[in-house]
Amino acid sequence: MSAISIEADAFAPATAADLRVARRIMWTYISTGLAIFFLMMLLGIAMRAEQAGWVTFDPGWFYALLSLHGVGMITAMAIAGLGTLWYLVRRETPLDPRIAYLAYGFFVAGALCVIIAVFPGKFGSLWTMLYPLPFVGTYWPSWATGVWLVGNALVMTGFMVWCAQILGALIARFGGILGMLGIGYVFNIRGYEEAHREPPSPQMFAAAITAIDGIIGSTFGLAAGIGMLVHWIDPSVAIDPLWAKNLIYQFGHTFANLTMYMAVAGVYVGLPLCTKREYHTSKPLAIAWWGTLLFVIIAYFHHLYMDFAQAETVQFIGEIASYLAAIPVVVVTVFSGAMLVHRSGMRWSLGSMFLYAGMIGWVVGGTAAVLDATIPINLDLHNTLWVPGHFHTYLLQGVLLFTMGWVFVTLEQRSATITSLAMRWLIGGTIFGGAAMFLLSFYIAGANGVPRRYAVEPAPGPELATVATIGALILLAGIIIAAIEALRLARLPKAQEAAA
Amino acid sequence: MKSRTVAYIVLAVTIVFAIAPTYRGQIELPVRVHHLLHAMVLVLAAFTGLLFARSAAPAKGSRAFWLIVTIVAPMLAMFLMWPSNYSPLDRLPAAHTAEHLGLALLGFLTAYAGQQYATGVGVAMSLSLWAMAFLAAWGFGVSPPLQVQTAAAAPTAAAAANAGTAPDPHHGQAVFSQNCASCHGAQGQGGMGPRLIGESSRKDLMQAEAWIENPQPPMPKLYPGTLSAQDVRDVAAYVETLK
Repeated sequence: MSAISIEADAFAPATAADLRVARRIMWTYISTGLAIFFLMMLLGIAMRAEQAGWVTFDPGWFYALLSLHGVGMITAMAIAGLGTLWYLVRRETPLDPRIAYLAYGFFVAGALCVIIAVFPGKFGSLWTMLYPLPFVGTYWPSWATGVWLVGNALVMTGFMVWCAQILGALIARFGGILGMLGIGYVFNIRGYEEAHREPPSPQMFAAAITAIDGIIGSTFGLAAGIGMLVHWIDPSVAIDPLWAKNLIYQFGHTFANLTMYMAVAGVYVGLPLCTKREYHTSKPLAIAWWGTLLFVIIAYFHHLYMDFAQAETVQFIGEIASYLAAIPVVVVTVFSGAMLVHRSGMRWSLGSMFLYAGMIGWVVGGTAAVLDATIPINLDLHNTLWVPGHFHTYLLQGVLLFTMGWVFVTLEQRSATITSLAMRWLIGGTIFGGAAMFLLSFYIAGANGVPRRYAVEPAPGPELATVATIGALILLAGIIIAAIEALRLARLPKAQEAAA
Repeated sequence: MKSRTVAYIVLAVTIVFAIAPTYRGQIELPVRVHHLLHAMVLVLAAFTGLLFARSAAPAKGSRAFWLIVTIVAPMLAMFLMWPSNYSPLDRLPAAHTAEHLGLALLGFLTAYAGQQYATGVGVAMSLSLWAMAFLAAWGFGVSPPLQVQTAAAAPTAAAAANAGTAPDPHHGQAVFSQNCASCHGAQGQGGMGPRLIGESSRKDLMQAEAWIENPQPPMPKLYPGTLSAQDVRDVAAYVETLK
């Protein structure tokens, strides 16, 4: 495979062979991400079933499964989103496929390390481990802590590789940072129009913000990760607990947030395919993305409201940043998306349905987050199941639906076939119905003060866990049926081949 | 002035800055100050790399190699800033110089390799490297005073075994004289082993205990065995008093 000179070929159109390679990379990432997601879902159901009293296992295993489930879910969605985004960037500018595979290798190696740390290591202090927890008072062997830390560092390294590649490509494509962020376009729209220049497409904003904030987040994450790895090897090296907490949450919150911004690129490209209308870059869209770029890196402060040692000013900055990171881009994207669909005569295929429903899930999950980011409310809700309610909505009914929507839109376009009405009702009913039961249980439990991260919950936790488990099983059934339907569509001949 | 000339001047400044502190003889700097000085070496070195990349011919062929270098170099720099090595390095000027030059090389490579991969990536990775180095000064080997940490924070094995027992520096002095003075000097002034006067600026009580429990060679591991958990605690308390 020939190497690609980024700067020289920044405008070279992708050939059919290039796009074939790019699609292979995209499907490798997406299938890996969704496979991990499915396995993590099984772990999640096992934990809710245990809380409901359906099965019993050692609390140590509960926390080990919780650790794997948390880090696995976010990494799974990130891998799927990064694959989608890589393909979309490749359509507009050259990228070296080997680097995509290198990043993928880091992700897989990191995931394997994390799995080994849990099976058989029984590592149980989650990815939000708060120093000195992974080192002191543990029930798992020390090697499991080391392998867990190495695994996380490998995932961060893979993410850094991916981000650096995309950043370099976008800078070359748009002539610098100002061009890739649409700054030149926003302040000189007339000049762009007169010169017949195109601003970056909406999906390029998603890619740019992911790349820049990804490098910033990985920097913080690796600083904490290497610091803790050194402490694991050499316990005489002290770590400041508040420093570690800030760095871990800066990376973790940014990474989790970015999964949504990766996946939303699928909406920018997929929804126009369904509606036969273009999703244009506009001034509000560009400015909203700037807000995300700036504020997503400090929004994590809302995880530290209860840390008395954190400066009070920082807490208020965190509250405002949380609003500004999420609200503008949600409003602009969802409003534009709704306008795109309005009176378009779009057929509600599985692809378009998932993309549209994903926007609703994004709004619901985002609203729960904004509530939690409000200091007086946070004090009551943050340590309850309300917060898992928020991020499960965000991931299950936002990021996952965007990813599934993109997968189905691609398969439907390829085969020029949409799923039968009965099957759409079955899949939609099980996925949305199951998710509603599963997610509402979190919110209701959280509002009733049931604490999170506990293997055994006080009332009404177990009763609601029963409802949640039933909901999760229905959701699982829906996802399995959707996966079978996706495989059926993938096996159909390409539209033009069928016509020939 | 040509870009390459400026690059050579900055390179010279970087090297002088990197090796100058090591000719001051034995110095005892707090870890935070040490990190910040290292960060300055990295700033200068990466700036040098950016200048050299500016006047260098674009890389030919595959650039994937350069991307790997620019990603890995900052991580290696962070490992090189391993805080417990500072104290021994302070007493070994040649090793200290080598460490600084290693940091300078990693800083240079981060910037140069990044720019060789694609314009702008070297700048981004240099910022990442600097951020890591400056962040290190606020928590990597640097810990707030014991009293502001939570009660559950990092109890050592000795501390756990003696929870509630106050350390006794007087008894610690006696234990020190019998087991430690032959290497560290009767007053902790140093000898075959490092000088311990002012150790409290580098390690708090808990860290000193952790070090005695799990020392790095060539310091012998005397706990558990020769020293009891209470002995460890008392010796650590005594070392903390050495000013």
